[in-house]
Amino acid sequence: MKKKLISLMLGTAMVAGALTGCGGGGDSAPSEAPAPAENEEAAAGAAENAGGGDVSEPVTLTVLAGQSTTDAGIEDMIDEALAEQYPNITLEWECVDWGNDFQPKMQQYMQSGLPDIMIGKAQDVATYAPQGILGEIDATYLDRGLDAARENVTIDGKTYGLVYNALYQGVYYNKTMFAENGWEIPKTQEDLQAIIDDCKAKGITPFASHMVDTWSIGNVTMQFMMNDVFNNDPEWGDKFRAGEVSFSEDKAVQTAYQYNKLIFDNTYPETFSTEQTDCDAKMVLGEAAMKVSGSWSIQNFLDIDESFDFGIFPFPNQTGDSKLIFEPNITVMTSANSEHQDAINCVLDVLTGNKDLAVEIYDYTKTASMLKDVTPTFANPSQEDIDKYAADGMIVDVTLGNNQLVWGGFQEENAKDIAAWLQGDAEFEDALKASDGRVGASSAN
Amino acid sequence: MKRNNTMEKNMEKQYLLLVLPGLIIFTIGLIIPLLLAFRYSFTSWDGMSAEKPFVGFKNYLDLLQDPDFRSAWWFTLKFTIGNTIIQNVLALLFAVALDSGIKAQKVYRTAFFVPCLISALIVGFVWLKMFSNVLPAVNELLGTSFNFLLFGDGKTVLSGLLIANNWQWVGYWMLIYLAGLQSIPGDLYEAAKVDGAGAWTRFKNVTIPMLAPAITICVVGITTGSLKVYDLLVSSTKGGPGRASTSVIYQTYATAINGRQYGYGSAMSVSLVIVLLLVALIQVKGLKSKEVQQ
Repeated sequence: MKKKLISLMLGTAMVAGALTGCGGGGDSAPSEAPAPAENEEAAAGAAENAGGGDVSEPVTLTVLAGQSTTDAGIEDMIDEALAEQYPNITLEWECVDWGNDFQPKMQQYMQSGLPDIMIGKAQDVATYAPQGILGEIDATYLDRGLDAARENVTIDGKTYGLVYNALYQGVYYNKTMFAENGWEIPKTQEDLQAIIDDCKAKGITPFASHMVDTWSIGNVTMQFMMNDVFNNDPEWGDKFRAGEVSFSEDKAVQTAYQYNKLIFDNTYPETFSTEQTDCDAKMVLGEAAMKVSGSWSIQNFLDIDESFDFGIFPFPNQTGDSKLIFEPNITVMTSANSEHQDAINCVLDVLTGNKDLAVEIYDYTKTASMLKDVTPTFANPSQEDIDKYAADGMIVDVTLGNNQLVWGGFQEENAKDIAAWLQGDAEFEDALKASDGRVGASSAN
Repeated sequence: MKRNNTMEKNMEKQYLLLVLPGLIIFTIGLIIPLLLAFRYSFTSWDGMSAEKPFVGFKNYLDLLQDPDFRSAWWFTLKFTIGNTIIQNVLALLFAVALDSGIKAQKVYRTAFFVPCLISALIVGFVWLKMFSNVLPAVNELLGTSFNFLLFGDGKTVLSGLLIANNWQWVGYWMLIYLAGLQSIPGDLYEAAKVDGAGAWTRFKNVTIPMLAPAITICVVGITTGSLKVYDLLVSSTKGGPGRASTSVIYQTYATAINGRQYGYGSAMSVSLVIVLLLVALIQVKGLKSKEVQQ
């Protein structure tokens, strides 16, 4: 009897332990949320006056934030601003790496219930909005952003994403090195080759690169494709799925792939063992003249040496009319089925209406503003170049390419094949065929 | 007689009661997902939509022609064979050395065992830094030119991963061998000595047969563990360079989750489960027949 009792107790304890273990995390019941406001009514009134919803009860909103390396830390800034403006609202953050973990998390939550707010990239809207799970963003908040911010997050006239900041992508170059060697900004492949040749003659590594990160190969390949493929044929991706064009037959796409070889042949031999931080350090320390990258490198550049003088130009294409790449980055999406729409609107109000917060975030992430009348205050040596390309209308939104040929499952996988080809483990034709073979995974829907 | 029957029934109930919690957890955590994966493997589900279109055996037929999946299997097999041989041999050698009565045995035992307490994710990161930063710096310091950039080349990445994985796990399997060695009766060695057996003959004819149960545990454990390698790769090579270190599980995850091909990814995972079961079955059958009853 004693044994029976003990075994029963053990069994019950195990089952209870397992059940509490499963259900213990992620409790975000609004009733359990802390209420930091001393005067909740006053806080709610302030919320309404400021443009947010009516939140008189404490609310906890769940947030899934798919972040780039530059974004980690902005959640604390948002929390702080929110606590001041809407003390009844608490955000429960789940910050993950956008490239690796955002999509798996979204898949998981699509089965179990979405968080109230999701922060990803503009291209995520095209993936998730057609599933009917995203809420429409209120025009009050969208109107505070630049018109350009709406273009690629609007489907059938409804806008499902609030684009908060933007990155620029192209070739970052060491201005001092360029001036000392008399190099002009290259516009054609011949111009670029002349700089590469001169670099080699002078013992300078032309390109800093970190091909150990497959995402880096995927990213630059899309940059190349934007200027050599999508600029000439904005519907190339759709035509690819329709079987009208292919990687194996399209010379422009093959040229874009071949640019990776140009970088690989003109970078240091340990590129497949060099991580981004080390790579950026090499650039800042003058060990390389150029780096095909994006604004995410600026944070590293300035952290390593705040006086580092650099500029940016688009990677030259075959026709000499390359445009600088623009990428809407932090994009706020909301759940269509959230019970806390008023509280969500308050968060959107803080994000779009609190200019101090916006400047703080832009200065921290070293990115460009997508809000009207908000300009970052950090010294960005490449801003002069960006302004010049903007004035000349030589900027293109990469979301065009990213929406047609998605990152997860397509660009990312293609990058692995390109890496294998660069390493000599696969033929160039194999990489092209592999890209053609995964046509089914090229679209989000 | 009747009392015996009642006692047996009571015992059976007790066993059932003890097994039940584990069985429930096992069923919820493993059996049901396994059955669901089997079901999804016959669909083209993307992991997001409500529809799960039935495609029959298409996913399994596609697997046979998928070069990425074949390449993932080829890497996984090489990794498994390499690990099984190196880890067993090293673990056994270290165990024999520690069992020979050397000084500071406990210190060595602890030093060898500690790495297996660390998460494989951390181990991957540690060795990434070792190969990329620390050892090249040592090279510079000593003025030598050894190629330590093992993770940066498709031809050397397997060696790098075997070093990292063996560094982590040799100590664990060594302890199992050590326990086996310490349970071998000294009389057997005495008798062998009296019969004129030398050290090698004693090792071959006494130690190895008496260690057969430990060998079974180690071989099956290392093989199945290596076939399932994933976390080590995530933090070290991310399956690269290119696809040079993409394992079956890594490929399955990339396909099912990142690539939104849940049905196809499920077919990959079902194929892995079948191979795991077959390998474990063959190994256990084969090795059990060689075990000696003490």
